[in-house]
Amino acid sequence: MSATVDDRPEVHAALAATRGQAGLAAALRWETRKLRAQLRSRALLLGALLAPIAVVVVVSAQSRPPKDTLFGRFATENGFAMALLVLGFASQWLLPLVTAVVAGDIFASEDQHGTWKTVLTRSVSRSRLFWAKVLVALGFGLVALVVLAAATIATSALVVGRQPLTGLSGQVVEPHSALLLVAAAWATMVPPLVAFTCVALLFSVWSRNAAVGIAGPVVLGMVMQLVGGLGGIEAVRPLLLTTPFEAWHGLLASPRFTGPLLEGCTTSLVWSVVSLATAFLVLRHRDITGG
Amino acid sequence: MRRFIISLIAALAVVLAVGGAVMAGSGGSSRVTRARLERSLPTVFAHVYTSQAKLLGHQGVTPESLHPTAMCDKGGAVEADVGPGSNWNCLVSWSDPDNPMPPEGYGKIELNVHSNGCYTAAAPSKLVGFLTLTDTAGRVVTNPVAEFDACFDPHGDNTSTGVEFPSLLAITTTALRPDGQSHVSVQVTCGTGSGGCHGSVTAAAGSTTLGTVPIDVDEEQTGTLAFPTPVPDGTAEVVFTATLTDGVGPAKPVTLPMPA
Repeated sequence: MSATVDDRPEVHAALAATRGQAGLAAALRWETRKLRAQLRSRALLLGALLAPIAVVVVVSAQSRPPKDTLFGRFATENGFAMALLVLGFASQWLLPLVTAVVAGDIFASEDQHGTWKTVLTRSVSRSRLFWAKVLVALGFGLVALVVLAAATIATSALVVGRQPLTGLSGQVVEPHSALLLVAAAWATMVPPLVAFTCVALLFSVWSRNAAVGIAGPVVLGMVMQLVGGLGGIEAVRPLLLTTPFEAWHGLLASPRFTGPLLEGCTTSLVWSVVSLATAFLVLRHRDITGG
Repeated sequence: MRRFIISLIAALAVVLAVGGAVMAGSGGSSRVTRARLERSLPTVFAHVYTSQAKLLGHQGVTPESLHPTAMCDKGGAVEADVGPGSNWNCLVSWSDPDNPMPPEGYGKIELNVHSNGCYTAAAPSKLVGFLTLTDTAGRVVTNPVAEFDACFDPHGDNTSTGVEFPSLLAITTTALRPDGQSHVSVQVTCGTGSGGCHGSVTAAAGSTTLGTVPIDVDEEQTGTLAFPTPVPDGTAEVVFTATLTDGVGPAKPVTLPMPA
């Protein structure tokens, strides 16, 4: 590395530190490169960009608005309502799938290809590789969400229009604040999306099977959706990971309420930490020398 | 793989146990309550009613001028007023000089409330019009009051609002069917409200009184009133007059023709 040998301890420490950072950065670079090479992840991002356009165009052409969903009543005559209608649908059925496609596969694919020994014999530690994969999976989920949100909001505004929006207390919201509120509502998807990513990572580490890693969080999301909709057992709602997906309702009400939003952040945080910690321990204690 | 499935089942069992414990601890309580709906619905109604007034060109209607109040009830007398469901009914009263309230003093809005605190409301067309209306520019537009969606704060104030309205008693029989001894009976319904319908109904065939029968019907229930005195031959019609201590009766006596 350098021609002269420097024996001072702080230099050793500095060298180790730079090597450490380079280790995580290198692992991150490799994981990102693997992801970029994957047809599945590229197709998903393209889908996140194109699907909202198709949905918005098709729904706005309906003669009868989809009144059974929140904001569906005005979706064909108001772009902001359309963006919120798509948000409601995406949060119920789509977002767990979008993030699980990458997060559910990112550890399991090493098992599938039998490449654990190869990647770990490179000078990267197990925990560093773990964090690199976690960061890449989280990054992908967030990028997919941003693409989905931007495509939906832009298409809705262009195709349907920017009329004043009727909020969830019947109040009329002017277009400028409506745009901010719609963007904020999409942004509230971040905590539960992160939590679903962590759950998918756990499934991926634990099952060593990409199919389980991807399908597991999706099925879990659907079950929670159903349980959360049942009457009589609503006390479990704050524990469910699908409840934070509905916390945006408070932003569109007047007066605004943020209790569900804060509760949702806590729920998402707990699910994320527990899932990540479990995944880390499982991976840490695994015997990989066997293959 | 087998180990994974076993772990998964164990994890599910833990989740179910925690969920069960939470439910047992909280008594399965719901955040959908009567008080929260009674606070949310008038606010929302005032907003959408004002939007409608703007479309129709009615002057002087603002959310503040309407002073709406609501009393909500789930499933009538037989069910507790808590939890999601499509059987919530709210009686809403407001003051619009151009559109006075009916004699009972309120309109009934039907709600379908979801567990997440959002609901869809359908207002009575005799008070707010049909699903579409013609605005001042002559366009046919959606009537914002006929049906609307709203969400309330699931952590909002849950103390009782104290708003109460009487039930509306209605005689639903449209044609009398005397039995073999010329006795007649009528069906009555007691609408949403507080306290049910109590009092009496008197039937008269011309100058003959057929009897006075007490009414004791809970809200959102029906009852049958049979009158003891036979209807004299040749009677053309029978007049029923309700006198209530609880609830509101029909404004005028109900006259039903006898079958020929």
